[in-house]
Amino acid sequence: MISNKKTEDHDFGVDSRYTNREERSNDGLALMGARLERMKNLSPFEIIQAKLLQLKLEIEEFLSKPVETAANHFTSFLSTYIDTIYDRRNKFAEDISISPVKLSQILNNHREPSEDFMLRLMVHSEKVFEKICPFPNETWYQIYFHEKVGETLLKKAQWKLHLSNDVKTSNLVEDILR
Amino acid sequence: MHVVEVATGRVLDVEVLSVEAFDYSRITKSRYFFNWKKEREEEVYKLQIVGSNDILGLISIERIPDEWRIHVRLLTVSIENKGKNRIYERIIGNLLTFVGKIAIREYAELACISLKPKSRIAQHYVDKYHMNITGMTLRIELREILRLIEEYDHDK
Repeated sequence: MISNKKTEDHDFGVDSRYTNREERSNDGLALMGARLERMKNLSPFEIIQAKLLQLKLEIEEFLSKPVETAANHFTSFLSTYIDTIYDRRNKFAEDISISPVKLSQILNNHREPSEDFMLRLMVHSEKVFEKICPFPNETWYQIYFHEKVGETLLKKAQWKLHLSNDVKTSNLVEDILR
Repeated sequence: MHVVEVATGRVLDVEVLSVEAFDYSRITKSRYFFNWKKEREEEVYKLQIVGSNDILGLISIERIPDEWRIHVRLLTVSIENKGKNRIYERIIGNLLTFVGKIAIREYAELACISLKPKSRIAQHYVDKYHMNITGMTLRIELREILRLIEEYDHDK
């Protein structure tokens, strides 16, 4: 069905719009048949590779925008990371030499991640992503602080009202600013 | 991502951004081949050299989550970048790679991009972008998308 006609001048564009739902649906069915065959042949490495790349792209998306909802983004990304490569979270705790209890507390937001934990996580993800795609060392810290800054700004109305009477600028500062 | 200036071999970084409402006044059919104003309600992206606001290429997509698929509706380069006398190369590849990354972000290992070009240009897409053929529709899946990312966005 595909013509062999010379195509060097045709790399300018494609109008590929479906004219109706039926055409789209029929196309989807035909494609799915061929796709399922290939999906079955994906190796475990390819699946993990895709999931880790997905995680990285989700993180990039998260970091590119202001935080709009108060949620546990850091622990959500961390859980996805661990669950993608381990079938038991305790194994991850063992691999980075921390106690399973400590890990559980962090993942359940009962404990802040310490600097030591962040460094171990950084080393771990450097080793894991080495075979997948570049994953900058600072990523986990960026997620953590992006969430913290976002959370603080989302709650600004609460803390600003409470603190504005307590925080003053001294006469000296006011003189300089004048 | 980058494009290459054909005449000099100069490499220039590019970015792909959402098309804004105000862009449509300059996205004319004479320069971008199709009536892009009809795509106003769709998800449309533009490719520009970093620091420039000149649009070198455009892509409009439809997400089909039930099928873990993104269908390319319209895709083009600007008229100066068509054919043998084009100013820059890699525009289409960069746009497809950008959409490939959206597909991976949304659907991970199930990701698929589909495209339905006229038969006379289909072979070009098969050869250049590693597309697979199903009837008259072309598709790329995980392996080909990763290959595109490696080729067009290897620093990422």
